[in-house]
Amino acid sequence: MSEPTSKKTFKPTVLQRVLDDNSLLLFLCITVPTVFYILWGIMEVLSIPLHK
Amino acid sequence: MGTSYTTPTNPDWGREPIERTEIVWITIAFAWCLFMFAWMIGWHWMGHQNMRNEAYRTTPAAYAEKLAIQQAKYTVRMDVATGEPVVAPPPGSDVYIAGMQWQWRPILELQKGKSYRVHISSLDVDHGFSLQPVNINFQAYPGYEQVVTMTPNKAGTYAILCGEYCGGTNTMGHQTMLGRIYVKE
Repeated sequence: MSEPTSKKTFKPTVLQRVLDDNSLLLFLCITVPTVFYILWGIMEVLSIPLHK
Repeated sequence: MGTSYTTPTNPDWGREPIERTEIVWITIAFAWCLFMFAWMIGWHWMGHQNMRNEAYRTTPAAYAEKLAIQQAKYTVRMDVATGEPVVAPPPGSDVYIAGMQWQWRPILELQKGKSYRVHISSLDVDHGFSLQPVNINFQAYPGYEQVVTMTPNKAGTYAILCGEYCGGTNTMGHQTMLGRIYVKE
């Protein structure tokens, strides 16, 4: 088990900065599924051609 | 280290080394995900049930008209078992079948070894085209027609079940919705 760091300042890793930011996580959880499922799905359905 | 539901005790937790057992678990889980994903593609190429299809927008009225034209041109007889018209389109042609509450029409008669472009749609609500016993399944949506190129490789009688609940009563409805396809030598 690691010791807590001393009172010296440190720069968190990028991953830690992302995962510690609850607002960013909320934003990603809403926009990523919306874009990849809903928007992509709507675009795909709207592009179905008319029957011959 | 803390727990999964409280703030980490180490503020620099991003630099904590991952334990070996966790790395092993992540590797196994990721490898299994890739394996299962690869088989989705594999079964499309190697299996006989997960085929590609084309999709087109249509309307129930337009599709019903295609059914009527097909029936007028290619009806060969009335089916003894069901009293329904049996339609035998020429090999290589477009073949139309529709789900409607609560039957599949028409009864198709196809030839073994010949390919057909089978169009599947619905005239009212969502139905599930489920060809048995080969277990080929497609959704039949009103307003869309799905086209699958099929080549029957075995003669016999095939049943079409409905795989999407579409209403009805206990005497007639989704569970009694059965169609058939005859494949001749």
